Amino acid sequence: MAANFWTSSHCKKLLEQEDIAHVSPIDQNRGLTTEDAKIIKVHLSNYIRKLAQHAKVRQRVVATAIAYFRRIYTRKSFSEYDPRLVAPTCLYLASKAEESTVQAKLLHYYMKNFGTAPDEKVFRYEIKDVLEMEMRLLEALDYYLVIYHPYRPLVQLLQDAGLTELIQTTWALVNDSYGTDLILMYPPYVIALACIYIGCILKEKDARTWFEELRVDMNVIKNIAMEILDFYDNYRQIPEERVHAAFIKLPPRS
Amino acid sequence: MGEGAAPKPPRPAWLQEYELVGKIGEGTYGLVYLARSKKLSSRGVKIAIKRFKQSKEGDGVSPTAIREIMLLRECMHENVVKLVNVHTNHLDMSLYLAFDYAEHDLYEIIRHHREKLSCSINQYTVKSLLWQILNGLNYLHSNWIIHRDLKPSNILVMGEGEEQGVVKIGDFGLARIYQAPLKPLFDNGVVVTIWYRAPELLLGAKHYTSAVDMWAVGCIFAELLTLKPLFQGLEDKSGPNPFQIDQLDKIFKVLGHPTPDRWPTIGHLPHWQQNKSLIQGHKYDNPGLHTVVQLSQKSPAYDLLSRMLEYDPTKRISAAQALEHEIVLNCIFWYSTSICSGTSIIVSVRGDRQILRYFRAEPLPGRNALVPGQPGEKIVVYPARPVDASTDFDGISSTQSSQIPSSNSAAATSASATAAPVGATARPHQQMPIVGIQRMQNTSMGTFNVNAQANIPVVPANMYLHRGPQQQQQQVHQQARRREAGNMQNTGSYQPPAKSRRM
Repeated sequence: MAANFWTSSHCKKLLEQEDIAHVSPIDQNRGLTTEDAKIIKVHLSNYIRKLAQHAKVRQRVVATAIAYFRRIYTRKSFSEYDPRLVAPTCLYLASKAEESTVQAKLLHYYMKNFGTAPDEKVFRYEIKDVLEMEMRLLEALDYYLVIYHPYRPLVQLLQDAGLTELIQTTWALVNDSYGTDLILMYPPYVIALACIYIGCILKEKDARTWFEELRVDMNVIKNIAMEILDFYDNYRQIPEERVHAAFIKLPPRS
Repeated sequence: MGEGAAPKPPRPAWLQEYELVGKIGEGTYGLVYLARSKKLSSRGVKIAIKRFKQSKEGDGVSPTAIREIMLLRECMHENVVKLVNVHTNHLDMSLYLAFDYAEHDLYEIIRHHREKLSCSINQYTVKSLLWQILNGLNYLHSNWIIHRDLKPSNILVMGEGEEQGVVKIGDFGLARIYQAPLKPLFDNGVVVTIWYRAPELLLGAKHYTSAVDMWAVGCIFAELLTLKPLFQGLEDKSGPNPFQIDQLDKIFKVLGHPTPDRWPTIGHLPHWQQNKSLIQGHKYDNPGLHTVVQLSQKSPAYDLLSRMLEYDPTKRISAAQALEHEIVLNCIFWYSTSICSGTSIIVSVRGDRQILRYFRAEPLPGRNALVPGQPGEKIVVYPARPVDASTDFDGISSTQSSQIPSSNSAAATSASATAAPVGATARPHQQMPIVGIQRMQNTSMGTFNVNAQANIPVVPANMYLHRGPQQQQQQVHQQARRREAGNMQNTGSYQPPAKSRRM
């Protein structure tokens, strides 16, 4: 478990693309499309990252928070679980799980200062809303909280390949892979391999022999790489109006 | 818990799944209850429910609870307590962890022997308990979890039922994943009850390892043998992290002074430097662990114990090694001595070397630690955990609180009830009303050692006080007993896939 991905709940709970792309009926009724859902998730993953920078927590906390956030919406609707509250609460929960607790007070302070939507000035959720949502998230996650990330295997694999000079490039690629749902679909080391694959192409390194020796399914690696490149092409910079158009379909806050 | 005056909130739906029996424990985090399942699939099964209050600072679910849930949700091992469910109460933001109920723990078992029976724990039970503790710990350590708070009260033992006498390591509130921690482990403050605290912690180590758990197991092993805590230091409670000089003093008195020779990196530990005059000034001689635990220095049990209590954490035996422990003796003839904890037998004789293995020597460890391997041996009936039946789920109104299941109340007058703890002050729940449960003397279960010697006498009441030659049973076995005891295979050694060559 803690050291072994293969026996972990994370491994057992890996999902297929169609489980993830699915939009719940209640969201569909509000006109929310698969594309809207994707944009909301990308936007709020970035938001989690922004809050985390201010709260000065480590990368792994951010990664865990985003993984929680994305996992929640494979099970719950945006309409019932307002992502604008769920996102900061995921960071709050992840900070406890990863043993670098961020105080609710402090988190709330940053929430007030940095809104989730482009036009947002004041964040209307209170500390107590975060605490209530924390419990609901624990339930929604079915109390499975251990998440593995590609960072550790990335370092080990780069060493094995003798490509340690790629660490910065590939580390950034891993960071950006959280703009997608890949963490819910593939073992972390496969994501790491895909990032190395892209890194090799970007930096013109020939690692074909090394990849061949791994005897991994290169089609899987390439599919993941395509997904990451698609993120760069289409979701790195989402126009404000597009974000707004997606968020406006969410129910107004109570 | 002083909430009686509050207006009664509606009961969470999950409460329907349980019939509350009473309160069985109390800690800083909250309370522990005993309940019976009302679900059809598991009707009547006893469940321990641990309630975590909302953290005081208004910071939601306590990080301790999060950590315990997170780790136990992934753990699947016979010797690790099983988290069967988690429930929430949104009204007061509390969290309820439901565990398989264990009737006993080592604290109570040891106390029962010391205060009621005045006789040591039989060697089969000691060995089986130790084997299972190590087996569970090996699973945790190979999954990069340090428990950090091992002590007799956290080593649970299952009561009557299909898992009777099976050890469950419990209370993961302080447990940590130590693979790539984001902060030094030290940052989280207090760890491990001072009596079971490893010397590197006492000397202020900031980065520590699973070896701290092995030290605690050594202390528990000794306590199982002598019925007394091995190092009973007086805790200094001043300040957040005071230097525990008295605890170190107790350790040094038994094990002798640690030297840079035995422990090369000791000089790097903060307190070793800062408190030079206090620690290094005092001279300790006559180290005598074997006299304290009354074991022959040549017995495998002693050898194993002394390796667990190795000062240098890097040299201390690991759980995996302890399970495979062996001692190689260089002498021509070796007559084994059977004393308190371990019957030594010759496992192999190669020239002038013999290899002795504590866990491979008779009596072999078994799954049911409470039922002795020898068919004729007397079975010790341990009292049931005291239950305060006058309680209710904290913060939740209920009407059926003061009902004790009839089987319990009937047994309250039985012989076992009189043997239950009386007048104890060490732990709060011991002062509660006592409900004893007469135990079925189930000899058919878990007796893996039917081949073992049947003529071992019932452990005399004063055995550990008068250990004379007449009790030193001599057993010489020519062959190793390689028979595996039932289903006690080592399930803990998972290999992390460093690099998978196949997908």
